[in-house]
Amino acid sequence: MGSTNYKFIGRDIPRRDAEIKTKGLLEFSSDIYVPGMLYGRIVYSPYPFADIEEIDTRDAESMGATVITPKDVPRKLFNIRLVSVEEVTFKDWNVLTMSPRYLGDPVAAVAAPSEYLAQKAAEAIKFKFKKIYRPVLDAFEAMSLDAPAIRERILKGEQEVTVSKNVGAELNFSEGDIDRAEKESDVVLERSFKTNRRYHFQLETKASLCVPEVDGRLSVYTTTQTIHNTRILIGQVFGIPLSRISVKRIPIGGSFGSSIQTNLVTLISVALCLKSGKPVKIVLTREEDMYDHADYEMHLKLRIGAKRTGELTFGEMHNIMDIGAHQVQAYPLLGTALGWFVSLYKWKNILYEGKAVYTTKTPSCAFRGYGAPQVSWAVESLMDELAEELKMDPLVLKLKNYVGLGDVFWGQGPTVRSIIRSDGVKELVERGKQLIGWDKRQPPSAKKGRFRNGIGFGRSFHTSGAGGPISGEVIDYSGATLKLNEDGSLDYITALQDHGGGTLEAHAKIIAEELGVPPHLINIVPADTSITVYDVNTHASRGTYVGGEAARRAAQMVKSKVFEAATRMLPKAVNPEAFKIRYDEALEQAVVYIEGMKDMKVTLAEIAKASWQRNWGTIAATVSYRATSAPPTFTVFFVEVEVDTYTGTVKPKRVVAGADLGTPINPKLAEGQLHGGFVMGWSMAYLEDTPYQRETGELMNRGMAVDYKIPTFEDAPSIEDFKVIFANTYEPTGPFGAKGLGEAALNPVAGAVANAIYNAIGVRFYTLPITPEKILESLSGGE
Amino acid sequence: MIIKFRLDGRDVSVEVEPNELLLNVLRDKLGVKAPKYSCGIGECGACTVLLDGEPVLSCLTLAVDANGREVTTASGIKGEEAEMLMKAFAEEGAVQCGFCTPGMFVMSYALLHEKKRPTEEEIREYLRGNLCRCTGYVNIVRGIEKVVEMGGKK
Ligand code: FES
Ligand code: FES
Repeated sequence: MGSTNYKFIGRDIPRRDAEIKTKGLLEFSSDIYVPGMLYGRIVYSPYPFADIEEIDTRDAESMGATVITPKDVPRKLFNIRLVSVEEVTFKDWNVLTMSPRYLGDPVAAVAAPSEYLAQKAAEAIKFKFKKIYRPVLDAFEAMSLDAPAIRERILKGEQEVTVSKNVGAELNFSEGDIDRAEKESDVVLERSFKTNRRYHFQLETKASLCVPEVDGRLSVYTTTQTIHNTRILIGQVFGIPLSRISVKRIPIGGSFGSSIQTNLVTLISVALCLKSGKPVKIVLTREEDMYDHADYEMHLKLRIGAKRTGELTFGEMHNIMDIGAHQVQAYPLLGTALGWFVSLYKWKNILYEGKAVYTTKTPSCAFRGYGAPQVSWAVESLMDELAEELKMDPLVLKLKNYVGLGDVFWGQGPTVRSIIRSDGVKELVERGKQLIGWDKRQPPSAKKGRFRNGIGFGRSFHTSGAGGPISGEVIDYSGATLKLNEDGSLDYITALQDHGGGTLEAHAKIIAEELGVPPHLINIVPADTSITVYDVNTHASRGTYVGGEAARRAAQMVKSKVFEAATRMLPKAVNPEAFKIRYDEALEQAVVYIEGMKDMKVTLAEIAKASWQRNWGTIAATVSYRATSAPPTFTVFFVEVEVDTYTGTVKPKRVVAGADLGTPINPKLAEGQLHGGFVMGWSMAYLEDTPYQRETGELMNRGMAVDYKIPTFEDAPSIEDFKVIFANTYEPTGPFGAKGLGEAALNPVAGAVANAIYNAIGVRFYTLPITPEKILESLSGGE
Repeated sequence: MIIKFRLDGRDVSVEVEPNELLLNVLRDKLGVKAPKYSCGIGECGACTVLLDGEPVLSCLTLAVDANGREVTTASGIKGEEAEMLMKAFAEEGAVQCGFCTPGMFVMSYALLHEKKRPTEEEIREYLRGNLCRCTGYVNIVRGIEKVVEMGGKK
């Protein structure tokens, strides 16, 4: 079911926005300047964990700055992320706080006509502290009896709940009978894993500009993955009707999950704008941004059992998540982490305990993969260990037990279940195995000398969206408006944000395919919340699968209206169903026709013109679409590394990345997702972490980019050594058979890299990142 | 003080503080937003511009240093080679979010001026100061190599 019959889908069409991006003409939030604009700066507490008695703003105000403190903003708690339904949304946020709980907790903010003045004013704000506590930087320490309470009362929906032992949320689950299963197992393995607290390092730091319009409405230009949820939150927090707020869809300089929520910088710019009556822009510095968000640090204890035959008997996971000082999506992630675990392999009997624990660190938020890179690393490492124990090829063990075609899948957590209808895992493993030369792989004991190569395999998946047949706890739907212009071109209007992967251009191709209109005649309209129907968020790899299907359905509706108009123009046709539409190569436009009849043919442009000239009205459609499943995009990585046993450094030598994404809309861009996914996953396995200073609660790197290494050009494998393969699958529920890819492209990487390192040197690591220091240390102990 | 220089092919004069950075002057005072702020300390390359044809990090360059000289940003790079590079970036999928891209473009352009036929290794070495979090670099290298290959045929 390849894409050979498609006119536009599956063909590489260079991106239309590439040139303006290359020239630097495309404007991101921080690039927008308006006359009379004030520059805002945020003021943070010098202590990560304290209660403030008093804030002295007099000096700042005497410099002419607008100043806001907690008393200028509403007191009611909220959550900055609105994706879950209200009843399970945990709320512990304020715009500004008198009780800072991490070093990046905003306590005040200023705005002034120049950045220089704003900075001076920010520095002039003084605090008197009621109490200063020792920072709490470890989840287990935070749960101990003598740890101070980081938060006492928070809201769950509208209900007040008391936090005990700093556990912000809990989720437990069991299915089957673990005790019996354990008795029936021939092998039981138990290991504890700890993941790194990575920083997203999206190239654009978070920014926001809030503009008061002359009629009192607010226009907001900000870094976000969701313009609608941003508008709703601004409305809720400040008590402004949504019809008075317009949030613009502005290109975003990378996000990787860091702007699923509405950023505090956005709310602060609104608060400053409301107080000053002037436009206020705030651009976070890199240091501020690094204190603003990080990944979830997971402490995963896994126990798994199997029979000699390789049949799994049970799987148990204990997940202690260090969530930092606030809840963004801690509770839903507890469910999703479980979802990743149970949807990787058929454990049959399952036990899960999850706890989200507050610490006085930067709040954790989603990071590309949403817990799946962490869980997959642990599971893929452990499955390799199990294979060794059973003397089996890990590929055989994994293929025997993986959750695939026809199985129930609930990657996005217990409330979002659907059946798997497309699965290319076997094909990818078969082909990948050949390309990497798996069968020639030697055990670690066969490696000698300074440089040792190892080959590792890891697999995983990600959902496409968070939809399902029943409503569940997650809000997940998209919308699209499509209108046929008077010359036959189209305007496509959506709230869906493109992170840069080319999602909106993929939508244009989907519309093009449905209507036979060349993609360049489809305008992707710069949009805002006022002119678009709701779209929840570009997260969960849902942009193509859900948003693209919304666009396709809008195109389908337009098509049936076009056929009605065609019936008016060619009245010999019995009814609109007699017509078809296709792209005519010779005319270079869409034509509506009846098969086998030469004279029954009219171009889309002629129909559009007739509808206008004869007062039939504009042909347009708006849809709101919820998917009834969230199909997994399966991915596999084969990685060959070279370990230098003298320095401990590791290099990726060869990579085979395989993806089962259904129909690739843009193969080259899909490849690019896998390149980017690999490099990010490599970095997770080997480079990144944000450790804290025990005494001060500061980041060790103080938020400086110099001390937060991410891969450069020199860290990636060469072009020739990076192979990408796509499975030949078709997802029946996706637009033209497509599934999402953004996150699946990353999820298996750390597992594959860890397994490759093991294959090179025979050492397993249970803490990420696997740094050269750790490697050296392990080798010096062993030899 | 007032400084004068050529910016993307036009003459500009602007009042600056002695400690003001070129990046801020370009963006805040002269409305040229191709150079991006991303780290501010010379780690990422997003702010790269050409100063008399040489790539510099505008976040580490004082605005006064541009006085009497020629500053070219991604918006001002012209000519056949630039067109080829831009096209190759688009065709090879070298551009994702695009935030790093103006800096990448300036740097790749400078590379092609310095070396007519750089190898993959040389490309990677030359561009190692430019960070990209989206592409994994592969398609950017492909884009540059494409131009190198076409240059060979010319
Ligand atoms: S902003 Fe200049 S190098 Fe990063
Ligand atoms: S394309 Fe996004 S940082 Fe390079």
